[in-house]
Amino acid sequence: MNVSESKAVARRARWLPTLKEDQQGRLLILPAVIIMAIFTVYPLLAGLWTALTDQNLLRNEVNFVGLANFQRMVADPVFWQTLEHSIVLTTVVVALQVVLGLILAWAMQQNLPGIGLFKSFVMASWVIPVAATVTIFKFMAQPDIGFINILLKAIGLGSFNRYWFGDLTFALPFIMLLHLWRNVPFYGIAFLAAMNAIPKNYYEAAEIDGAGAWARFRHITLPGIRSMMVVMVTIHVLWTFNNFDFVWLATGGGPVNTTEVLPTYVYRQSWSNYDLGYAASMGTVMLVILMIYFIIYLRITERQAA
Amino acid sequence: MQSLSRRRAQNAVLAYVVVIASTIFFILPMLWIAYTSFRTQASIFSGAVLSPLSEYTLQNYETIFSVTDFPQYFWNSIQIGAIVTLFSLVVSIIGAYGLSRFSLPGKNALIIGIFSTQMFPQVLLIIPMYLVVVNLQLLDQVVGVVLGQLILVLPFQIWMLKGYFDNLPPDLDDAARIDGTNILQRLLYVILPVAAPGIAVAAFFSFVVSWGDYLIVSIISQSERTATVTLIMQRLSASLLIRWGQVAAVAVLTIVPTIILFSIVQRRLVEGLTAGAVREE
Repeated sequence: MNVSESKAVARRARWLPTLKEDQQGRLLILPAVIIMAIFTVYPLLAGLWTALTDQNLLRNEVNFVGLANFQRMVADPVFWQTLEHSIVLTTVVVALQVVLGLILAWAMQQNLPGIGLFKSFVMASWVIPVAATVTIFKFMAQPDIGFINILLKAIGLGSFNRYWFGDLTFALPFIMLLHLWRNVPFYGIAFLAAMNAIPKNYYEAAEIDGAGAWARFRHITLPGIRSMMVVMVTIHVLWTFNNFDFVWLATGGGPVNTTEVLPTYVYRQSWSNYDLGYAASMGTVMLVILMIYFIIYLRITERQAA
Repeated sequence: MQSLSRRRAQNAVLAYVVVIASTIFFILPMLWIAYTSFRTQASIFSGAVLSPLSEYTLQNYETIFSVTDFPQYFWNSIQIGAIVTLFSLVVSIIGAYGLSRFSLPGKNALIIGIFSTQMFPQVLLIIPMYLVVVNLQLLDQVVGVVLGQLILVLPFQIWMLKGYFDNLPPDLDDAARIDGTNILQRLLYVILPVAAPGIAVAAFFSFVVSWGDYLIVSIISQSERTATVTLIMQRLSASLLIRWGQVAAVAVLTIVPTIILFSIVQRRLVEGLTAGAVREE
């Protein structure tokens, strides 16, 4: 320990005890609060301000334009298209993830031989980078040489041979498929953990009372995993709605905007058109939509706690 | 009770169908890309599933290591991931401990505030962030990428660790306090050893998020000095004539580190990730 360090320690040792424990505890929170203030609260406020300006990376001057960006947005057909894609994508993906996650959790609960091994590797798709997931599926969707088309040819559906991410009808469903591939195992494992915490005798009692499979699921399993479900759905609504990587890397929003979602449209306006003001105004709309959702979420959890 | 045992058997069959279908759906794509990385371009473009033995090769790996800048990108990713992980761990551990154990006016609002940053659109945050990074002259610098990625990691990490600490009995702290330890000693010697599994998951989370990040790197990185594996993968698979064997090799090398780390924390992963959500009574 050098001189300045030991001095610092001595200084700390002198003033630390003079603070009450709670005050020391608050000091611990300080670095996190400062960093979050600088890197999330400030960018958020600055972003909201940018939405009211015509800031463009190709120009130096920045003018306050009021709500002009929002007026432009309302008249922009691509904006409405991307808004619809974002809402449909998030709704369909999260709903399917919950259903498929429940089925997966149910299957894993049956104590089949080898299920431990299955549980240990099934979440692998969740940990690999999205860029790798997209690469894997882009290759599998290639015409003629991709696994999906090889498979279709083998079962006599060779006429469907196409690049699936380049197809006007199938590109968006394929983006949804990527989301499912990544997240369903996470849902399954999380629901399983919650299910295993439900006391077994609840089910035995229900069975004696003659409750059928559906009634047991409805009145025992569902309430038992409810809080886990609320958290999983909430986090994934936010993450899916804000997700940029899947669409950008898989299709770039194409073909002809059929997969464009709000995050990719905002990114394109920011970094291809350098139109920061317009991009920020659409980012603001994204935030407002999620805030409405989040307020509903808080209402639900408060009612649950009460 | 014959119907009961028959129903059990039906359930088992159904469960097996789900498990086998899931294995194929979730694992086969990864095996397929690994398999592709050992095939020649001609073999891949033959459209056949299997090729003559002579068409399997290590050439794709040799090429990406000798001809491309991949080793540099791989090193950048490791470096950035390690710094983000260490930095975010220190900040989130002390922050989460403070939030978990000490009173603070408006604490609940602060916790909800931290969690609610999850709903801030990242594509909106990066606009001012880019300008800040430019002003600090950190564009195309490792530090710039690290600062940007902290946004992705910190809020969820704090929320998760706070939940984890909340589930540890406060008696631990009280006993140590009576022994005359100060806050930092208690955190270091009493809490950290007990919370090691949760902290491992937090570390895993931040490394994997940093390693897989494309958004932040794509705007802050301007050259091979800071480019990461996700960037090179995107560039390779967007080029005109795609060398799928090489792309597959890059994908495999990008996936492998995350799978290795995953196998270490695997058993604790969900428990750790959802600790913020689940209160053990």
